[in-house]
Amino acid sequence: MIPQGKQVITGNQAVAYAVMLSKPDLIPAYPITPQTAIMEHLASFCAQGGGPRFTNMESEHSALAYAIAASRAGCRVFTATAFQGLLYMHEELQRASRERVPVVLVNVNRGIAMPWTIHPDFNDSMSQRDTGWIQLYCESVQDVLDTVISAFRIAETTSLPVMVCEEGFFLSHTSEIADIPDQAMVDAFLPAYQPRWRLDPDNPHVFGAMAPAEVYSKMQMQLHRDLEKSIRVIEDTSQKFSRSFGRSRSGPIELVNWDNPKIVFVTIGSVTGSARELVERMDNVGLIKIHSFRPFPASLFKTALCGVEKVIVVDRALSFGSGGILAGEIRGVTSHLDPPPHIFSFVGGFGGADITVATLEWMLKFVKKHERSPHDTIPISCEVR
Amino acid sequence: MAKISLPDEEYLLPGHLACAGCGSAITLRHLLKTLGSDIVLVVPASCWAVLAGSYPRTTFKVTTYLTTFASAAAEASAIRHALDTQSKTDAEVVVWAGDGATYDIGFAAVSAAAERNENILYVCNDNEAYMNTGNQRSSGTPRGAWSTTTPEGALKATNKKDMIEIMRAHGILYIATCAAGSYQMIKDFYSKITRAKTIQGFRYIQILGPCVPGWRYGSEKTVEMARLAVESNYFPLLEIVEGRYRVTHLPRKKIPVAEFLKAQGRFDFLKDGDIQRIQDEVDKRWQYFLNKASET
Repeated sequence: MIPQGKQVITGNQAVAYAVMLSKPDLIPAYPITPQTAIMEHLASFCAQGGGPRFTNMESEHSALAYAIAASRAGCRVFTATAFQGLLYMHEELQRASRERVPVVLVNVNRGIAMPWTIHPDFNDSMSQRDTGWIQLYCESVQDVLDTVISAFRIAETTSLPVMVCEEGFFLSHTSEIADIPDQAMVDAFLPAYQPRWRLDPDNPHVFGAMAPAEVYSKMQMQLHRDLEKSIRVIEDTSQKFSRSFGRSRSGPIELVNWDNPKIVFVTIGSVTGSARELVERMDNVGLIKIHSFRPFPASLFKTALCGVEKVIVVDRALSFGSGGILAGEIRGVTSHLDPPPHIFSFVGGFGGADITVATLEWMLKFVKKHERSPHDTIPISCEVR
Repeated sequence: MAKISLPDEEYLLPGHLACAGCGSAITLRHLLKTLGSDIVLVVPASCWAVLAGSYPRTTFKVTTYLTTFASAAAEASAIRHALDTQSKTDAEVVVWAGDGATYDIGFAAVSAAAERNENILYVCNDNEAYMNTGNQRSSGTPRGAWSTTTPEGALKATNKKDMIEIMRAHGILYIATCAAGSYQMIKDFYSKITRAKTIQGFRYIQILGPCVPGWRYGSEKTVEMARLAVESNYFPLLEIVEGRYRVTHLPRKKIPVAEFLKAQGRFDFLKDGDIQRIQDEVDKRWQYFLNKASET
């Protein structure tokens, strides 16, 4: 049923294979482009019996509520969505992390309406950055497959929900060669889920009761601290995954062409592939690929950017009225470096607008020409391709 | 009349925070007694999410999951599937939701769980408005009722949504209405819950929940309110098993609906014509159920 070894597959196939290899008990589903193929694949796998139970839900809100309750009842659970669906889940996103349920969700990134677009940017998932989920972003189809399997282990180790983000069409519908591990290897990497607490009629407890202010407050801080600490689990899981499956290591961030760089690109998602192509033929230009956006790898960034003069942040998400979301994060973690690097905040690529190697070269030229970064965001020109 | 023996075990513990005379405290206590301890109780945002108690204390002696407002039926489905994968097929998953959660915000989830014929017992505590937040109208609020969002001059001008007929149209195997207005009604209540337990699939029970502050009557009158609602045919006691209707309580002497309405402050602004209109609608609906029952 699941092919093995090197195969030409789409990002959505990679998700479906990774999920089946991870053996969830229950899968609630609600369709939305460009996520649908994931659920179609899973529906047909589940129809063969003996595997997860697949349930067609009536909305994304209900799909995630189902996932939370199923996880609370002790099951391993998976669901997937995209753009408006993720936004429709917002209430349940906030709740999943506060309930500490290790739900794994794939979000297939797509630009938010209005106007409608079917193509990707990161406004959907990055606008959910404060919901308490671990958020992992993928560069390639292989990255998608590996990240989904890892996500179950990270979620169950930390008792935190994990959102894996793949860009619609750029990854979800693009075929690449990916190496699919065999079941025994995945079983060894990902042991069966052992819930600490679960809904059990034989062991009565009340879950979700009111809490006095001191308890409530303590729990908010505990979630924050645990999310921060989960960076170590992401790092460890990544190392273990690389060893088990023979992959090159990619932790919370990956440093590329890293030879005492003066200028550094920061990218997230599939544009990283184009940035690799550019920086690998440059001297003194490095690249940081962000894999973990939440928790934000603050100390890794501080260490990496120490001594770097200029940072080119390629942002495909915008906090309206504030600026590029990634740039804001990076400014925050580098502000106390002495001297702090100049953060050039390039913002664009919305609704699938191309960011090509030529676009990145144009950014590099701009940065070399300017001694200091402008205060404002720099729109990524759609003309430069 | 044969006596019923109520289980001694209490699953709703004393010391809870419900208002004096709360109708739903009576019905929930009886519901839990009938169901026993092998259940997971799913409670969306409602009075009972508060009345469950503040950590670390609780009112419930059974496994209880307090959920978000719109999602109880979806989450009960999940818990049912989870228990099934753990071979706990005998445990009952029970939703205890208000009319706001059932008729309004959680309506899609209720309808979908019914359409999937999930093996859950969905119980609606129908107190005819958003009472936890201080009496705002829901689509379960009756015509002519005062609420804080249908104040004098803008009383609710439409009928209560007919959830019984809506659920029947889903083709589910078991539907019943219950009220705690007399010993006989409690007996009827027990027999319905007991029967519902024997049926696999989606079961819908609607229980009248007289509400002292919302309906505006004295706290000693709760049982009386339920009795008047049933005896006036305002809230008929029914059972619909596999689509076959049965009226389980025929009032010995029909009471005018005005007696029920005039006993409550929420209907203070009704005029005589309004009362007649409500009476006509009650009569029509009652006749509809009698006709349906005689067909089967």
